[in-house]
Amino acid sequence: MFEEFYTIAQSINNEYIAKVKEQGALCIGYTCSYFPEEILHALGIIPYRIKGLNVSSLSIADAAFGPFICSHPKCLLQHFALGDYSFLDGIIVTPGCDSMRRIDECIRKTAVNLDLPVVPPFFFHYAVPHKITEYSVKWLVEELHRFIDSVSAHFGLSFSYDKLKESIAFYNRLRKRLEELNALRIHYPARIAGADAVAVYVAGLSMPRDRFYGMMESLLSEYTGTALEDRKRLMLIGSANDDIDFIKTVEGETAVVVADTLCYGPRLEVDYVDEEDEPLHALALRYLNHSHCPRMYGGYKQRLAKVVEAIRIAQVEGVVLQNIRFCDLHGAENGLIERDLEKLGIPCLRLEREYGPLADNERMRMRIDAFLERLEVRRLVCERP
Amino acid sequence: MRKALKQYNFDWMLWRTYEAGSRLLAGTRQEYDIALRYIPNFRDPVKEVFKAKAGQLFLQMTATYLDNIVNAHQRGKKTCMTTFCFSPAILYALDIVPVTLELLTVMMTFLYKRGTGEFLDYCNEAGFTETSCSSQRGSMGALLADIGTPIDMVVTDSPGVCDTNANAFAFFAAYKDLPFFQLNMPPWLVEERVTEYHVQDYKALIGFLEEQSGKKLDVDRLREILTELQKQDELINELEQYLSYKPLPLSVTTCLFIYAGRFMFAGMPIYTQLLEMLVNEGRENVTLLKQGINISHEKSRGFFCYIDHYTHSLRLWQMLEELNIGYSGNILSHFWADSNPPVVHNNWKEAAYSIKTGTLEEMLTSIAAINSRMPMIKSIRGPYDSPYMWLQDTLALASMYKADFIVYNGTPGCRNTWGMVKLLAQDTEKAGFPTHIMYADAFDDRVQSWDATRDRFEEFLRVRRLL
Ligand code: SF4
Ligand code: SF4
Repeated sequence: MFEEFYTIAQSINNEYIAKVKEQGALCIGYTCSYFPEEILHALGIIPYRIKGLNVSSLSIADAAFGPFICSHPKCLLQHFALGDYSFLDGIIVTPGCDSMRRIDECIRKTAVNLDLPVVPPFFFHYAVPHKITEYSVKWLVEELHRFIDSVSAHFGLSFSYDKLKESIAFYNRLRKRLEELNALRIHYPARIAGADAVAVYVAGLSMPRDRFYGMMESLLSEYTGTALEDRKRLMLIGSANDDIDFIKTVEGETAVVVADTLCYGPRLEVDYVDEEDEPLHALALRYLNHSHCPRMYGGYKQRLAKVVEAIRIAQVEGVVLQNIRFCDLHGAENGLIERDLEKLGIPCLRLEREYGPLADNERMRMRIDAFLERLEVRRLVCERP
Repeated sequence: MRKALKQYNFDWMLWRTYEAGSRLLAGTRQEYDIALRYIPNFRDPVKEVFKAKAGQLFLQMTATYLDNIVNAHQRGKKTCMTTFCFSPAILYALDIVPVTLELLTVMMTFLYKRGTGEFLDYCNEAGFTETSCSSQRGSMGALLADIGTPIDMVVTDSPGVCDTNANAFAFFAAYKDLPFFQLNMPPWLVEERVTEYHVQDYKALIGFLEEQSGKKLDVDRLREILTELQKQDELINELEQYLSYKPLPLSVTTCLFIYAGRFMFAGMPIYTQLLEMLVNEGRENVTLLKQGINISHEKSRGFFCYIDHYTHSLRLWQMLEELNIGYSGNILSHFWADSNPPVVHNNWKEAAYSIKTGTLEEMLTSIAAINSRMPMIKSIRGPYDSPYMWLQDTLALASMYKADFIVYNGTPGCRNTWGMVKLLAQDTEKAGFPTHIMYADAFDDRVQSWDATRDRFEEFLRVRRLL
């Protein structure tokens, strides 16, 4: 049932994109969950959340990026350099974190320096503020205007607010479906494996959304769920992850990821864009507020409160805090979360890992197993009369 | 962390050490020489600083900065933890004492042979990442361990420019549950929309500072500080002219004094004094040069396109002297006033700040503009090859200073620069500047020993026939 989702999630290009591209559709990649897909959808462009999966060498990326950089953007660059993203007509780079925003120069200059045709024809640096104030929301609305003007002029498209409103409504319906899927994870006992759920989310970021919506609908109508009895209920927090195998490693045979804060996943809650508000303002507000990411400096307390609430709702037994090496944003926040959750009696495991080929899979497995044993002991102690 | 380290506050120890160091020249030459015998660990850094005429004043200024921190609460003032790339002028205008992490880290690494290793490690014990920038971690560790003056509030202005910097301050504020304010930097600079954003953000900052300090911004005090800053800018401009002479008419530590002083005391008279002293020395030496009198033996000249190397004894500067390398600037010594030589020379007025002291609105616009052009904040906020960014600044400054080569030195914690420094180096090489990338950590010798760093630097100089 999930096979199709896995195939799409675990590959860079897919038949759905190839098909609509053949019919002349445009596809634009973006690097960060702060970009509102609704805008592209309204313009008839397929939004694609860029992934870094299945890279077997970082030869070109290492030569461009320095050595002290998160391996996730390096894998993205390697894909660009190898031409794997040649189906993209454009790319939107966001200052999500330093490593990721430097992909801007790395893609452009690698093309020049190595004489590779890796730069998509449309390139946009989308400046998202790091705080939520009246003036930062205003700034983001202006950024959206700037984007719309630039993309419409580049591809000769015409933008309409009515279409945008339709797209906002469509995405809200899609969010509703995602919420239904999420409910299966939160259910006690969980009715879907975390890996399966993430495969669906990631697939949804990699294909035409209308088609994805149809697939979601059939999934939800056909899938009655598998009761994952007796599994340790985990929450996964930290660095960006589009790697389903990593979730599988965390779950193994005895655990299930019932909630996450990952930016390729649904994050902690599925929240909606206000359809009554002026569309660009509504988008700016939703995206600045929703994305549960430590790039919003000073927002730790609010994020912690949401994590605690999600732990309660999903009846989480233990939290796995992971960060890709050199991801200081998530790494540092994980330190705070670990301290505060442990104080509340919620067991945490903190992992630093590499993105990409799971070279350190066994090391991870060993540490996770030990953590699951800790949870097992806890269960025994807590359940004792 | 060792128990012994927790016996005294680290800032108090630093203060007493700098205070004592600054008085070493107060007696006779003989007394000074004898004193050196009794301070084997501090001898080298002290000797190095005193090689420059302004050395003594520099140490006094540093001691005063520490004195302000250590005694802030006793004097009824609030302390604000902040970063080197935030101009402290506004804090002085509100009578708040800046506690700048990077400055405190460097003050320690210069002086203490053991460096800041234990404080760096303590950050990890507290849950912070070991991959973050060591310039904040070096002193933040001590403050996390409560062996420093308690901090009342935290302000950072690197969001959008440097994550590890901003992240350190956000971590500290969350860890200690302190009031926190961040100023944002959009990825480009020269646009009305950006200026507007900076000014709004800066006004919100002032609201925050007023609330935290319980004091209202004193308009006359702000005017005084901005007027002093104008004066300081003029002195820096003159120094920059001298720094472009070949051979160099000023000691290689001049730039260090310029930027460290500005980070500590922008708009304060003590910094003006230091600059005046440097300018006087420059004027005298330029006169000698013009008379054909040789005052240095410069073999070649480097431009440091990022920061310097700060570990024990100012060894970078010692090495430069030993190798007869002229060193006339790095990215930290540039503040981009509209009268600044590279601005005038390249007609970059639109990317520079102007100080206007008429109305309050004008002053706030000026100070927001100054702040958003601090080193790193100006040139490393967007794609490095965009207008007015790192590449353009580096090439312009290296040419103005007649550099023979360019050096990048930073920290492995600097995702921001490591994300593109190799590309930058390719461009500077293409522009005709041999470029050396140091893989050392400017604040932590444990990453790469100084000997290895020096070896590789010398190898670069030899291979590129720069010596
Ligand atoms: S972790 Fe944050 S900054 Fe990075 S891509 Fe995700 S949402 Fe964007
Ligand atoms: S994992 Fe962290 S460092 Fe890596 S790209 Fe995402 S936010 Fe940036």
